[in-house]
Amino acid sequence: MPPSIHPVDLITTLRHKHLTPAIVFLTSRRACDEAMQAFQRSQATLPPQRQKNIAAVLEQVIAQYPSIAEHPLLPVVQRIGVAAHHAGHLPSWKIAIEELMRQGCLDAVFATTTLAAGVDFPARTVVLTQSSVRKTRDFTDLTVGEIQQLAGRAGRRGKDQVGFAVLTPSPYIDLGVITKGLTGQPEAIDSQFVITYPMVLNLLKAHPLDQIQAILARSFAQFQLNRRAETLERKLDALHVQMEPYGPRVCADWITQWQVFDHARKQKAHRVQVRSHEPPELAARLHFLTPGRVVGLPKGRGIVLRQYRSRGQRSPMVTVLRANGAVTECPAGLITPVFDRTFEVEEAPVYPWCTPHSLDELTRQMSELPVRIPVLPILVQEEAEESEIVQTLTDEFPCPTCPSRPACHKDHAQALRLRQEIHRHTKTIQALHTGLWHRFQARAEVLQQFGYLTPTCHLTEDGEWARLIRIDHSLLITELIRADAFSGVEPQILAGVMASIAHDDDRPGAFPRISNGLASLLGQVRHLAESLAPHEDPPLLRADVAALTERWVGDPALTWIGLCRTTTMAEGDIYRLLARTLEYLSQLHTLNASHPGLADTASRAIRALRRGVLEELP
Amino acid sequence: MTTDELEKLLAQQPVGFLHRLASGRIHRHFRLGKRRLIDALLRHSADNRAGMESDLQTLTKERPRYEQSVGHRQHPEPAAHQAKRPGHGERHPAKAGHEGSAEPAEPAPDLTAFLEGIGVPPPQPFVPDAWQEEALAHLAETDVIVSVPTGSGKTYVAIEATRRAIEAECTVIYTSPLKALSNTKFTEFSRIFGADRVGILTGDRKDNPQAPLLIMTTEILRNLLYDAAGGEIDVRLDTLGLVIMDESQYIADPERGVVWEETIIFCPTQARLLLLSASIGNPQDVADWLTSIRPTPCYLVRHHRRSVPLRAGYLHPSGKLTPLFRSVGIPHGSAAALHPEAKRLFAHYEDETLRPRSH
Repeated sequence: MPPSIHPVDLITTLRHKHLTPAIVFLTSRRACDEAMQAFQRSQATLPPQRQKNIAAVLEQVIAQYPSIAEHPLLPVVQRIGVAAHHAGHLPSWKIAIEELMRQGCLDAVFATTTLAAGVDFPARTVVLTQSSVRKTRDFTDLTVGEIQQLAGRAGRRGKDQVGFAVLTPSPYIDLGVITKGLTGQPEAIDSQFVITYPMVLNLLKAHPLDQIQAILARSFAQFQLNRRAETLERKLDALHVQMEPYGPRVCADWITQWQVFDHARKQKAHRVQVRSHEPPELAARLHFLTPGRVVGLPKGRGIVLRQYRSRGQRSPMVTVLRANGAVTECPAGLITPVFDRTFEVEEAPVYPWCTPHSLDELTRQMSELPVRIPVLPILVQEEAEESEIVQTLTDEFPCPTCPSRPACHKDHAQALRLRQEIHRHTKTIQALHTGLWHRFQARAEVLQQFGYLTPTCHLTEDGEWARLIRIDHSLLITELIRADAFSGVEPQILAGVMASIAHDDDRPGAFPRISNGLASLLGQVRHLAESLAPHEDPPLLRADVAALTERWVGDPALTWIGLCRTTTMAEGDIYRLLARTLEYLSQLHTLNASHPGLADTASRAIRALRRGVLEELP
Repeated sequence: MTTDELEKLLAQQPVGFLHRLASGRIHRHFRLGKRRLIDALLRHSADNRAGMESDLQTLTKERPRYEQSVGHRQHPEPAAHQAKRPGHGERHPAKAGHEGSAEPAEPAPDLTAFLEGIGVPPPQPFVPDAWQEEALAHLAETDVIVSVPTGSGKTYVAIEATRRAIEAECTVIYTSPLKALSNTKFTEFSRIFGADRVGILTGDRKDNPQAPLLIMTTEILRNLLYDAAGGEIDVRLDTLGLVIMDESQYIADPERGVVWEETIIFCPTQARLLLLSASIGNPQDVADWLTSIRPTPCYLVRHHRRSVPLRAGYLHPSGKLTPLFRSVGIPHGSAAALHPEAKRLFAHYEDETLRPRSH
């Protein structure tokens, strides 16, 4: 079985069941184009009368938009009554298809889901073949709202008694997502408020700084943040009620007091535990078990080579050299007498813990030891530390003798947890209330740093014109203008740079060569964009789209077809690129008061850019 | 009545009926299938057989009425269908046999019922829906948000509201998220109101900017409002009477949503706002927000009813079409019970496509 139904079979089935006209949503532009190719040689033609109707409608549209007269899909549209409609097509083509759909001439349109809102025409049937959609890089599941918007195109008011959403499986489908999307409630929407540089400049132009916080408070973002803050406040109130029994006791801030006391107590317990293994006699003796010391062992005598603590129990150990030349390990506790005799030892960091030479020397000296050696008298001191700690605890803290000590001990864990939670909620609420304002301040600081704002947050001379640039990457553009990067450039080079800043699509393609002037200017732009990266995300700055735009603006004789031949970009993408470039250039054009030269170049670029296909639509 | 008799009687009843009988008697009866449900009922009735039997009788008396209403709603007179469309008649036995083996409960609709009613409705004079009138009436006094399913007639509200505002000599601004939609609307509105009364503004071009109805993208309106706030008035914002924002669910767009917020915040107070949006989950939140920042409380129109009913179907790659759900329409808000045939076909499809290729 094929992984999905063949487009020709799909349309045949829909026709047979009287489910046409239909919109078929496919995963990609390529899928749409391949579906259209499948119809090239198809025999599923329309009756001649309907073909004539289509031709008549097309003729009207072509009269208005001559660019589609040569469109390669026209014969299929006219013969079979199916069409493709996606972002790779020119707007005029899409308008033609929409017009045909509105008149009911077509049987099916293959469209992509990427732009659900852009498909603004109804049909009797909507065919869904996927449950996820490509967003920037990877596929995400369609949301309930999106599925309902797609399926909602089915059923034309006044033309249909009932609409159909038909699901047909493909490798990109998850039935659960679709059924949930059809039956479920659409998702709640959340504010996506961000503070941009032009927003800061324009707000400060119209309003004094002390009013800004009030204006930001009117945003949907703040409205939703306040909602969250309200729920947190209710939680906070509940926590305060729970906190009531843990109010002030003998000391006003008993929780902190107890916490410190508890901490000290634990420290003390820790120290006592380590010492508890060692009787005072041993502890006193340890100081004398240095390398070279002669000691008595349960059997015979030996010379200490090193002192260390065992790995697990941390009990004191010594390595000793025995009379027969053996090197053995021995717990320090087993050593009975410590003799008043030491030898020189050259210590070494590894076994046998001294140099071979000194080992030989010691072995020799060991054999020459006299039978009687005086025992070292060691003074044993009683361990006083524990009582000292208890002493300090009673000195610093009233707790050990306090009458409410049992109650504090019992409630402390709960009270501390509550107090921490209250702290956390209070902080979050504060952040929710002031977050937007802080973000605004951060943006304003950057603008002050770059000299668009005075330290008192008034617009400087540069700020006055910079606020007119209200597009993405505005900081980069205004900084380029201030750096005089555009002084004396040709219109086509300005347009090329603007195109590469404006273009944010990473669809690959093959492209025309770039001119030297544009390449060096783009290098400058890239350098500046990288230095601005901490304050503004750098644009893609693709050289190829810049070259494409340069060519279109620079060569007035170049036709649209000729332009499309120089690249593998889809027509619709080129159109969108140039339209967006126009938008950016027209923003530069608004600077004619402060930068007449640049505005003039921009308007020349606009005039050169706006021809042919780009002139068809406003 | 012996236990066997009772069991047989229960087995004859549809499963929905058994669930009604079980409610209050058996914990979590809705989790059980028919077989287990009957077992559970029998077990339960062991100590109170009389009570069970009397309930059963009461319900059986009610049953014809119940069935009738169900039948009416879901598959009007299947016999009549067969008479009308004899071509589809032969499908029934096979289908019935299949269903009988699976779950002999309420029969799922067949394709005939599913496709019933395709066609063009008889031409009727256009009568606006109650909600459309309601929205227009409230628009005279306050801001209005319309959140209704796609294709239920938001454009009518926009057109009527524009007509009324133009008659009252106000300027109307209509914004859409995409340039392409602006163009479509420009053509459409020029046809309705006459080309001289509709203007369009784009970043670099102004067509007929003195017209009472101006169409633009939301970004352009935002820029106009900033210009007005900064002192350079570009359009006649003082005569602005109505701002229509189409597809206003774009306020949740990660990149451009902020523009919608800015526009709404800076929209002049004397102008009414009409927000048209597809179905969203929390239109009440948006309405509450508008109420909190605008001079008059915002009125929300929301419903989930479609003007043209929608049905969901499943088309198998083999070309076989079946309904997707167990009901003819789309069961909104309930856990979707799939049509047994669609379920079977899709399971088959997954088997085929997910199985590792052996050759």
